[in-house]
Amino acid sequence: MAIDERVIVETVVGMGLAGNEEGLIPAFGLYLTNHYADFYNRISFGVLGALVRENPELTEDAIALLTEAAHVCAFHTFGGIMASVEWDALVQPMIESREDWVFGMMAVVNAFGWGRFRVAELSPGERLVVELRDSYESSGYLESYPRADGPRCFLANGGMAGLMNLVYQGDITRRPALTEELYREVFSHPRSFRSRERLCAAQGDSHCEFVVERMPQ
Amino acid sequence: MSSHLAPTADLERGITTLGGRRLVFHCHHYNVFLQRTIEDALQERAPRLLVAAGMEASRSMLQKLEAEAESASAADALRRAADMFAAQGFGRVDVGELGESGGRATLDHSHYAVGWVSRWGKRPSPGCFFVAGFLAGALAAAHRLSPERITSREVECVAAGDERCSFRVEVW
Repeated sequence: MAIDERVIVETVVGMGLAGNEEGLIPAFGLYLTNHYADFYNRISFGVLGALVRENPELTEDAIALLTEAAHVCAFHTFGGIMASVEWDALVQPMIESREDWVFGMMAVVNAFGWGRFRVAELSPGERLVVELRDSYESSGYLESYPRADGPRCFLANGGMAGLMNLVYQGDITRRPALTEELYREVFSHPRSFRSRERLCAAQGDSHCEFVVERMPQ
Repeated sequence: MSSHLAPTADLERGITTLGGRRLVFHCHHYNVFLQRTIEDALQERAPRLLVAAGMEASRSMLQKLEAEAESASAADALRRAADMFAAQGFGRVDVGELGESGGRATLDHSHYAVGWVSRWGKRPSPGCFFVAGFLAGALAAAHRLSPERITSREVECVAAGDERCSFRVEVW
């Protein structure tokens, strides 16, 4: 495997991504923010709590809404990054296989402040297992709430499914246009990837762990 | 950006902090999609959640930074907060008309407005809720005000077709 995670992380952090004269951060074909983890946690857990309190039977639906936001995030953020000139300059020269797209993107994400991701298992085109330590979602949850009765890393969980869908379902290696049509085609495919957070620090586990697999036939 | 406003990155843990709080990179697609999800789910209650979350998140960070920076005046502290806001990619906000009793702030290129328009076009009402919350939090931190005394709302928004985003902050 040719991906040098340390070089990628240090380079992305060293880019010093910060607002331009307009106060915007155009990078990777996106507008980025170096946003407050507390804000995301307050609004995500806030909306979940409000919906569940009113209709406990809608818990899974509420989580599905937050997961959908994570799929959109992965599709555009990861997809945008993997189609960017920055990717071409930094990561593409290290890529030797399709699996390196997964490892390369994971390295870039490790520079985004979300915590430290590590690929524990990757079966090409079939399965991904990822460990995450210092997840901003689980640590933020535990600052404000008692131990959770289920996993709470909705963004990271959906993001991992999104990454596998981009690499193995949407074939990001061919640089398709990241349109709404492609999003629907990829994520609505009957064999698209879904992720399950098997371990979560918010529910007392030592770290978070995601298992990404294709939907069953 | 002055050194105390520069985030600290721990590469081994994959975390970035400023004022003791975590910072995370996200793009406009996620920011506006998550906001829209919450607006759809909570309807008229959504602005209260979004603004309050913005206020508390910014206030907790700015209070700690201000304790370290010891700005010469509240106006300096507000300008420092605006610089941080711009460095974080939210836009360059003019806080010159904001004081202890509240006032007005304007923003020409709000991340949230730019992101919303690029994704969905115009919206029927202002949509920069995080910014409204940030301004309340910044005012509370700069003037050491109880956040419960501050209300902040966007009265003009680029995403709603206005020339610029404009916010009215009131202190009672």
